[in-house]
Amino acid sequence: MSVNTQDHHTTAREPVPGSPPGGRARSGSSPRGRTPLWNWRTAQSVKGASLTFPFLAGFALFVLVPVGMALRESVYTTKSTGGLGFGGQTVSFAGLDNFAAGLVDGSFWTGMLRVFLYALVVVPLTQVLSLALALLLDAARRRAAARFRIALLLPYMVPGVVGTMVWIFQYSPTVGPLTPFFEIFGLDVNFFSSSMVWVSMGNLAVWGSLGFTMLILYGALQSVPHEIFEAARLDGASELRIAWSIKVPFVRASLVLTSLLSIIGTLQLFDQPLLFRAVTPETITRDFTPAMMIYDQAFKVGNLNYATALSVILALVVGVASAIIYRFINREEP
Amino acid sequence: MMRSRARWATAGLAVTALTGLTACSSTGASAGPAEAEGPVTIEIWGWNAETGEQIVDAFNEAQDDVEVKYVLQASNVATQTNFQNAMEAGSGVPCLVQGFAPLTTMVVNGWAQDITEQVEGSADLYNEGALAAAQVDGRYYGLPSGSDGQFYIVNQKTFDKYDVEVPTTWDEFVDAGRELKPHGVDITNLAGEDPSSLMNLAQQAGAEWFAIDGDQWVVNFTDDGTLAAADVFQQLIDEDLVSNQTYMDKPALLKYFDSGKMASVTTQWWSLGGYQVGFTDSAGDWSAHPIPQFADAAAPVTPGRTAPSFVPEGCEEPDAVMAYTDWLTTPEAVEAGRNAETGAIGFPTQIQDPAPYVEEVIPKDFFADEKAAGEEIVAAQETVIGKFELGPNYDAWFPELQDQWGKAVAGKITLEEAMTAVEEFVASDLESKGISYTVAE
Repeated sequence: MSVNTQDHHTTAREPVPGSPPGGRARSGSSPRGRTPLWNWRTAQSVKGASLTFPFLAGFALFVLVPVGMALRESVYTTKSTGGLGFGGQTVSFAGLDNFAAGLVDGSFWTGMLRVFLYALVVVPLTQVLSLALALLLDAARRRAAARFRIALLLPYMVPGVVGTMVWIFQYSPTVGPLTPFFEIFGLDVNFFSSSMVWVSMGNLAVWGSLGFTMLILYGALQSVPHEIFEAARLDGASELRIAWSIKVPFVRASLVLTSLLSIIGTLQLFDQPLLFRAVTPETITRDFTPAMMIYDQAFKVGNLNYATALSVILALVVGVASAIIYRFINREEP
Repeated sequence: MMRSRARWATAGLAVTALTGLTACSSTGASAGPAEAEGPVTIEIWGWNAETGEQIVDAFNEAQDDVEVKYVLQASNVATQTNFQNAMEAGSGVPCLVQGFAPLTTMVVNGWAQDITEQVEGSADLYNEGALAAAQVDGRYYGLPSGSDGQFYIVNQKTFDKYDVEVPTTWDEFVDAGRELKPHGVDITNLAGEDPSSLMNLAQQAGAEWFAIDGDQWVVNFTDDGTLAAADVFQQLIDEDLVSNQTYMDKPALLKYFDSGKMASVTTQWWSLGGYQVGFTDSAGDWSAHPIPQFADAAAPVTPGRTAPSFVPEGCEEPDAVMAYTDWLTTPEAVEAGRNAETGAIGFPTQIQDPAPYVEEVIPKDFFADEKAAGEEIVAAQETVIGKFELGPNYDAWFPELQDQWGKAVAGKITLEEAMTAVEEFVASDLESKGISYTVAE
């Protein structure tokens, strides 16, 4: 998911080779009315644009087509022909009924509120910690930084489900190492209890995404011109001051990006609660988060029409939330 | 190979079905589409990575009429996904699919075909529970499948240490829990995510969550049987006589089971292997007993359910499938299913008398008395109920039952409230699916 967004981002920002700004104006310098439809510049532009074809094809096949199919699915309703349900099913056009039902579905919006509150804590926490790590790495020697970079990125390479399993064993009050660890300080911590489940999942989320976010911010820090640091040092600025007043403003655009990715990921929270459900079933119900409810509707209840309608609503919410945050954070960018 | 074929012939099994099949392929008089020369080829889908293929190979060698191809699927879920896709596409539909959901679900979705004719032809190979499990509304939509009868294993050392009698009824079971509690011992474990203990006990108590009345379903999650089962668990929960360890944290679970702090558990034959590996301290302390009964039961009954394999709509060779299924009841087939690494066989719970094989499924050095344990396992199989109708929308309501069970086990609501909530969910789901139903008074 995040990879896709990134691709999109890169493509949108990179100028297409062969079509420099002003290219059109220059081709217009030939005598009026005799501009050939297909001159070498157009050809070059097309050639350049064609480089985006692999991306566009993948994007169409794996994003646009499924979205179209989902939209189609969401305006129908499937019902049994009655009786015991052994006689097959009929599909009928339902218009916006599924969306109307989704907009007033209490459990769906409760789940939405739940992940929203969770995001309010987890997203800033991830950004602040990642930024701190990136600044520390930036201050370290290059060789040392390279080693830490890999180590910090490791959790991101672990598939989410595997990471969750690993942490469930760490959290285990019976065989895990964490409970005895906290006992040393006289604390009785049960990571499986209902009251701790958000902390348990939040810690897991931060652990999983820290490395990736840090890497993007670290990359951005590398592109800050070093002359500025030198000038600042000559003016007597401390390292802390340089970090806060020069480095952080410089990576602002990257912070916006990582925050957005983090918000999108958090609103779609799925695999962690799904696994933690076994541990605290009295807290994590089958419709705990919007994504879990969509999964339940599609593959358990078997109501694919309603599930796709809910997916569309979730996508809209994520889109709107991203747009608002983008505007909000990006407002004062120089 | 000759010898095995001879043995197969002398066993005299599967003759009925194969006669029909041979007639079909040799005379060409029947309407079967594969009446040309050569064997009928069928495809089987399942997720038995250990022995699925070798069983099929043995079958192919044992006879020349049917050629089976085993298509290994990654998992239960993968089987369902791929199967749904094949049905949707209308091509590449296999002839036999391992049961990935309860049989009624397969019928409601229009996936399983009616194979009453085939199954009735060889009904005498199977036990009653296996035949009962293969039916929906009086017709066979599934292949006879063994339900693994539940029995009761106790940590005899713990029981002896605190001088507690092994319970034979569920009331005694609760009493034993009360006696063990002061010693810091739980009578059993109820995992919050797994309501199957409740389903089993309800089945044993004669509960009928779904019944068919003419053209509609009668839904009843609060009948006498269910409430009797719920009452047993409610006492255990209220008096804190059980633990709630999750299966997700398996190392912790096994460690606790092995610690002597959990006195007993109901189980089935295939769990024993895992227990043998996980129980290092308590090995040899365990004994097997019949599952406790309800005091008012007329005759002993054993809970046990299964999800039978089925023949999909669109398969044109149900006779060949039946021939293969019948062959699975032979000693040769059981032997073919022996795991090369562990040496374990699959216990053929679908056949009339699985007793000759029971010794093979008893783990070594686990039970204090292995012979007695074997007898209990066979006895459990003799009285297994097999059928527990789960209705047309099991996939939809099972997660709801999980949610409600989890809350009840944590003491947030009572089990009766939980079952009422599940019943309401079932009703509203059937309503939205357009299936006729009535909720019993």
